[in-house]
Amino acid sequence: MQIDEVVWQVINRGHCSFKIKTISQNFCRNEYNVTGLCSKQSCPLANSQYATIKEEKGLCYLYVKTAERAQKPKELWEKILLSKNYEQALTQIDEQLKYWSNFMIHKNKQRLTKLRQMLIRIRKMRLKGFKELIPIKKKAERRDKIREQKALVAANLENAIEQELIDRLKNGVYNEIMNYNTKAFEKVVGQNQMEDEEEREQQELEEEEEDYSDEELIFDPNDLEEDDEEDQDDEEDDKRLFQKQTFNQLRRDNDEVKDIKKKKPRVQLQYEEEEEVEDRKKQQIAF
Amino acid sequence: MTSVPLVSVFSADDSSKVTAKHIPLPAVFQTPIRPDIVSFVHTNIAKNRRQAHAVNPQAGMQHSAESWGTGRAVARIPRVSGSGTHRSGQAAFGNQCRKGRMSLPIKVWRRWHRRVNIKQKRHAAATAVAATGIVPLVLARGHRISQVPQIPLVVEDKIESYEKTTDALNFLKRFGAFEDVQKVVSTKVVRAGISKQRGKKYRVRKGPLVVYFNENAKLLKAFRNVPGVEVVNVTRLNLLQLAPGGQLGRFVIWTQSAFAHLDKLFGTYRYTSIIKDGYQLLRPLITNPDLARIINSNQVQEKVQPAKTTKVLHEVQKKNPLKNTKAMDRLNPYAKKQRAAAVAAIKANTKGTKKIKKNKALKKASRAAYNKVAASLNDATKAAVQEEQDIKVKYFSVQKGAAQTE
Repeated sequence: MQIDEVVWQVINRGHCSFKIKTISQNFCRNEYNVTGLCSKQSCPLANSQYATIKEEKGLCYLYVKTAERAQKPKELWEKILLSKNYEQALTQIDEQLKYWSNFMIHKNKQRLTKLRQMLIRIRKMRLKGFKELIPIKKKAERRDKIREQKALVAANLENAIEQELIDRLKNGVYNEIMNYNTKAFEKVVGQNQMEDEEEREQQELEEEEEDYSDEELIFDPNDLEEDDEEDQDDEEDDKRLFQKQTFNQLRRDNDEVKDIKKKKPRVQLQYEEEEEVEDRKKQQIAF
Repeated sequence: MTSVPLVSVFSADDSSKVTAKHIPLPAVFQTPIRPDIVSFVHTNIAKNRRQAHAVNPQAGMQHSAESWGTGRAVARIPRVSGSGTHRSGQAAFGNQCRKGRMSLPIKVWRRWHRRVNIKQKRHAAATAVAATGIVPLVLARGHRISQVPQIPLVVEDKIESYEKTTDALNFLKRFGAFEDVQKVVSTKVVRAGISKQRGKKYRVRKGPLVVYFNENAKLLKAFRNVPGVEVVNVTRLNLLQLAPGGQLGRFVIWTQSAFAHLDKLFGTYRYTSIIKDGYQLLRPLITNPDLARIINSNQVQEKVQPAKTTKVLHEVQKKNPLKNTKAMDRLNPYAKKQRAAAVAAIKANTKGTKKIKKNKALKKASRAAYNKVAASLNDATKAAVQEEQDIKVKYFSVQKGAAQTE
């Protein structure tokens, strides 16, 4: 009791390694401090009779320090387990700190309350889960955005789709080859690349059928056939068809491939024979 | 002083074993704590280790510079003579000039060292030793002593014969002093500033101070390489080590013989010191510094006049009695009863009158009507939504069919 006064003078006026000074307030970093503030009453160093509440693995303990053990740092703090029942814990504090200063008792009870509330919150969060706040890193976000754009360009989606469609055609998903552009076709034949033609035709088909899902891109020949049958019943219709074809050919021969693509395409179907196409093989179209 | 008048000496091998119980505390540990003396002595003694340095006396003056005087539309500062170089005509010599000599150049004969009165130095040392026995001061200084069995820590002389560093380390671990060493190790930092290049690369904290007595002790070498640990002989206790930075409360580990020697070294309150010839320990101004306790003691309170009560002439803030019932009651104690009587009178007057019953039937009917309207609205909206959906479906199916036909 005697030395407390001296200690406080030395610590407060001089240097204390636990003291944190801020503009408005002084804090105490000492782990045994009840209030967390730096003041004579709440300084665990400057009071030979002192008590705190500390929490360990969900349990609250009362730590008591008395003048008798002041010279033995190892045995200084007596650790008393408090009841899990809040009210019982409060009475325990009252018992242990009987005849102590009101300040000490009151602050310990306050600390107990705060710790218990904290524990409740921890438990709740563990059970319910909690939203983890992740900061937005401006630099990283900016960087990733730009990289995404670049990746999109680098991916060559159009080319990939082209390849996919060609592969599908090869595999025979689409029954028939649709002849469209003579020029292109000749080119292709000349180069012995059927793929180009199909590719272009598929594209045009694709453009026409924009509203539909991918599934419906699969051209069902049966449907077509019905219409054709209607058309090709009469000779007149045949004639008309032939006329149409030649006319269209002439038109398209003059145009560039690109222009044609932009316009709404007219798919022309040419059958060698009036047959019901049930086999799934490709049919070469003689021209 | 709550400093323990009796101290236990611990066995070097086992921290739980006590080889000698209840050795009396040397009187030094009961010296009054005087941080002011320590601070003064420390600042002066710290200067004594300085080596003379100086600036080159010719620095900045190796020119035949002369002032051009007035009339040349330039400042009157001496200017470098000659021509043919940038330097010619530039200002020289002054402390404000570029390449000029500094003002008041440092001379070697600066007074580097300070003498301090012997008595002051001794008082400071005594206080510093006393402070090493006070746990809160050692803690406040920043030492990690929470696992140390006793402060002041006195160990048997066996440690003086330690030769191996491993023995030293194990000893420290046994007595909870290793935490302090770990603190030193973990907080070793590269120094900021030029001193790096002048042989002071690292800033290292102070750890425990081991104090021994026998001159032949080998523990100096054993503890030498442990970071933060310093070893010193009792006869040569240094304030700069006992209170580093002028801060009281170094963590000290005493050997038994060193501890016993302290009484001879500093003397007691009964007799002056033998070694420090004629030195008498500082006597405290107040033996009991706990003023609060003194004032509240029975002996003082008996004699003291009763405390004057401050008379309250008026309230700090005037409360309107017409609005504030308590203020009214203060002025007119009968007001409370008057109010109660008024309330009773009202009650008496209204006795027998029927209460206006809420027309439940009406309420029910209105509610039903409302619900009807709401329901019809609901249906209407539902129908509208359904219609819209149908249209959508139709439209899309038409689209599908159209596509297929094409």
